[in-house]
Amino acid sequence: MGKYSVFLYDNIGNTYERKNKYLLELALLDEKIKSEKDNVIKQKLKKERREVKRNKGNHSYIISLRDYEKKEKEFLNELKRSKKVYIKELKEDKTNRKLIGLKTRLFESEKKLTFYKEYIDLSYDAEFEYRKANLDSIHLPKIIEFFVEGQKELNIALNEKEELKNLDEKDFKNDFKKFKVSQKEIFKNEKLRIKKLRKEGLISKKAEENGIKELKKKYENALEIKKRESKKFANKEFIKTKKYELKKDLKTMTKVLEADISDFRRKTPVEIEKTIPYYSYLTILIPGLGQGLNKQYMKMFLFFIATLFIYLVAIPYALGYGNYQGQGIAGLINLAEGGLRIHKSIIFLIEGIVAVFLSIIAVVMLIISFIDAHKVEKNVIKGIRPSNWFETRMTISEDGFPYVVSLPALLIIVFIVLVPIMTTFLLSFTNMDPQHQSKFTWIGITNYKMIIMGEGLAGRVFWLILGWTVIWTLAATTLAILIGFVLALLVNNERIKGKKFFRTIYLLPWAVPAFITIMFFSIMLAPRGVLTEIINNIVGMKIEIKNDPTLTRIALILMQGWLGSSYIFILTTGVLQAIPGDLYEAADMDGATAWDKIRRITVPLVLFQTAPLLVTQYTFNFNNFSAIFLFNGGGPFDPIKYGNLAGSSDILISYIYKLTMDNQYQAIGAAITMFISLGLMLFTFIGFKNSKQFKEGRL
Amino acid sequence: MMKRKENKEKLYLSDKPPLTLFGKIGIFITYVILFAWVYAIIWPLFQMFVSAFNGKQQQYIMANSNFEFSIRHFQYLFTETLYLTWVKNTLIIAGTTAILTLIVVSFTGYAYSRYRFKGRNASLMAILLIQTIPTFAGITAYFTMHSIVSAIIPQFSRQMMLILIYTGGAIASNTFILKGYIDSVSTELDDAAKIDGCSNFNVYRLIIMPIARPMLTIIALWSFIGPFMDYLLAKVLLTSPQSYTLAAGLYTLVTDFRTMNQPAFAAGGLLTAVPIVILFIALQKQLVSGLTSGSVKG
Repeated sequence: MGKYSVFLYDNIGNTYERKNKYLLELALLDEKIKSEKDNVIKQKLKKERREVKRNKGNHSYIISLRDYEKKEKEFLNELKRSKKVYIKELKEDKTNRKLIGLKTRLFESEKKLTFYKEYIDLSYDAEFEYRKANLDSIHLPKIIEFFVEGQKELNIALNEKEELKNLDEKDFKNDFKKFKVSQKEIFKNEKLRIKKLRKEGLISKKAEENGIKELKKKYENALEIKKRESKKFANKEFIKTKKYELKKDLKTMTKVLEADISDFRRKTPVEIEKTIPYYSYLTILIPGLGQGLNKQYMKMFLFFIATLFIYLVAIPYALGYGNYQGQGIAGLINLAEGGLRIHKSIIFLIEGIVAVFLSIIAVVMLIISFIDAHKVEKNVIKGIRPSNWFETRMTISEDGFPYVVSLPALLIIVFIVLVPIMTTFLLSFTNMDPQHQSKFTWIGITNYKMIIMGEGLAGRVFWLILGWTVIWTLAATTLAILIGFVLALLVNNERIKGKKFFRTIYLLPWAVPAFITIMFFSIMLAPRGVLTEIINNIVGMKIEIKNDPTLTRIALILMQGWLGSSYIFILTTGVLQAIPGDLYEAADMDGATAWDKIRRITVPLVLFQTAPLLVTQYTFNFNNFSAIFLFNGGGPFDPIKYGNLAGSSDILISYIYKLTMDNQYQAIGAAITMFISLGLMLFTFIGFKNSKQFKEGRL
Repeated sequence: MMKRKENKEKLYLSDKPPLTLFGKIGIFITYVILFAWVYAIIWPLFQMFVSAFNGKQQQYIMANSNFEFSIRHFQYLFTETLYLTWVKNTLIIAGTTAILTLIVVSFTGYAYSRYRFKGRNASLMAILLIQTIPTFAGITAYFTMHSIVSAIIPQFSRQMMLILIYTGGAIASNTFILKGYIDSVSTELDDAAKIDGCSNFNVYRLIIMPIARPMLTIIALWSFIGPFMDYLLAKVLLTSPQSYTLAAGLYTLVTDFRTMNQPAFAAGGLLTAVPIVILFIALQKQLVSGLTSGSVKG
């Protein structure tokens, strides 16, 4: 049995006296019982309390409350009837629709004002209704007057427009033309004057530009003002502004009214007999119902959409209804085992994952709805009046804003990024290979075991490839960084002329799409290619780069150095230009040599600024599929050492490509993918954890 | 009068100390290195240029001292291959990707920069980690997802799938970049606007978006250029030459024996590269600033 508190609270924490005398009596008794130490008296008080409760129907306050409720019902019915009549009258007068709304509201509020006034002291509900009506009756006449006045002016203007329709403003047009010519003359003269000033070197180029801009604006303004002398034009402009004003100001005024009302709502508590929230628990499975019981009808409507989603989309899908082929979450476990011939395990897998994600969304919706309904219900018991739609809308647009606007991103990330990644993750625990394309089963961590132990057809070469991948990543990236950095230092030397030229040329390897340059390098290094011939001439014998593993690897590293240096060069140049010159001057004074300056000032500063980007360069090359695949297709092939699945210049990502796309070893490819991804994530995570931003919590 | 002022003997006016002999040799070596690298960059590109215009080149590009100016490779490109279709496809895919990315990212970047909401830091961390996983990781799923969706909605083409994948891949990193940029804009502007009665959306539309426009331009540009550069996904997902993008299409000119024509590839590569290079040179500064400010600074 719940206890009543003597006072009511609103959501700012103000206390209010109870108006419900019956509840007050109970609350006072509750308080006495609590503070009473003597057990005998306590029992007596408890008995008294039970007595009061039993005689609720005869309590004087309850009787008057019942009376009020009855009268209110009658009053509201009566109001409804008279409202209908009133609206009919207004409609017969051909009143504007907006105006009808405003006027009926005013009509209602006046009636309510007189009715509820008598009951202010009886209940807070009545007081709230009274205050609401009071505000309406204060604000609405002003709004209506504003609207009527505006409409009147607009009508006059519109009538004028009709009259002006046939007016031929010949005089004005001539006048305007003359005016335009004269203004243009002034504009031209002024412009010439400014240009002359510039020629004489009295003003800067910037000043010249600004001066001309200003003149142009002046000229345009003069024409705009002159235009208004035309009656037609002025009339048109007036109508436009008036319409806008009517729309916007009306909105603002109603908003002010609503805000005032919700102010009162916050200060007017609510009083109920209930002491324990229960229906938010009962309605937990049907979002919207709890909100409805809280009398927040618009909110209820919104949450009912969630209900529809849960019961018509998420749950049926998870149970296998409405699936394309799969069986919802169950399909995730059986993977179409024993199913029809056309049933594919992979489809069952993906639909299972989608079902899981939909279920998660459904559960989140249920939780949000419950928290909302429960909070409101609990607050009502405390005395806080539930917020109305106007306030809820404000809250959504304030606190809900980040959630609402991130929703599209969330959906795309879930279905385009997370679902595929989850698929790959789960796939790595299956045996999807050339023999098990349509139907495959769970096989646990066998794939990972094979990779780590270096066993099996696909796992055998894993460590070999990983080794080359690491060498490739380190060598190619470091080479690119070194070239780019040294070049940036050299070009940035203040005695070097033609900086712009060098910077533009050095930009090229980055600007030309990489796939084009890689393919062209591949062409040039092919047997009888341009570069091959040159190299052959220098060395003096015939060598075929693309058939020699070591030479291919060296060529790849050099090529990536060529490609990647450009980006580093540009990055470093940007940082170098931002280093303040006085640092170097100070170093000069202290007698530092050029080498000292580079070692102690330039390198640390550049490294500090670009470190995260350099790290991404390493991860980029780790996954640089294009360079490897487009240059030589991962070749040359060396079946004795590498088997049939990979070539000797393959890195992990191109190996995965060959496994999944060319040879259909999807499962083991997925396992390697997960291996790489985890490594990269760890790498990034550690790097990020150590960053200053994260440590200072300024995420 | 002016002439008299001119001194025949040049005065040393620089505020730098005069160069020693050692310094002069240093400068000379620097120039040599710089020009050597200029040569290293220009030479391969020049070779591509020459091969594209060399009428003497046959199916394979060979070391060849003969040169005869001709545009027949370009003619081949336009008449015998689907080059123009590929250009059109790439433009459509790139354009849609850029627009979608821009819409989605501009909201998330703003929200993450300006609001402290529940789950913000956790999701930011998640975004950061997710973006390290190569898009290629989900390739098996993309195939199946496409076949499922297109069985239900036949209009859902592989190109649309590609657009969605590009967009999904661009959201994470670009949200970070934009967030970093908006972080640097003072919140006093927002507060002032809010006091004057701007809604959240209007604060974004009227205050933040104009200020962030340079960064938004860069994001749009990067996501526009991305599909031009990507070869892997286009090759894997798109199956018919009719639907290829430039990268996938040009690749067929180098690998497929039936359509092999390397000079035509050079010509096509040249035509593709030139606009992008011009774009890069013109917008050098902005592109670079986009790179640096997007990083999580140490």
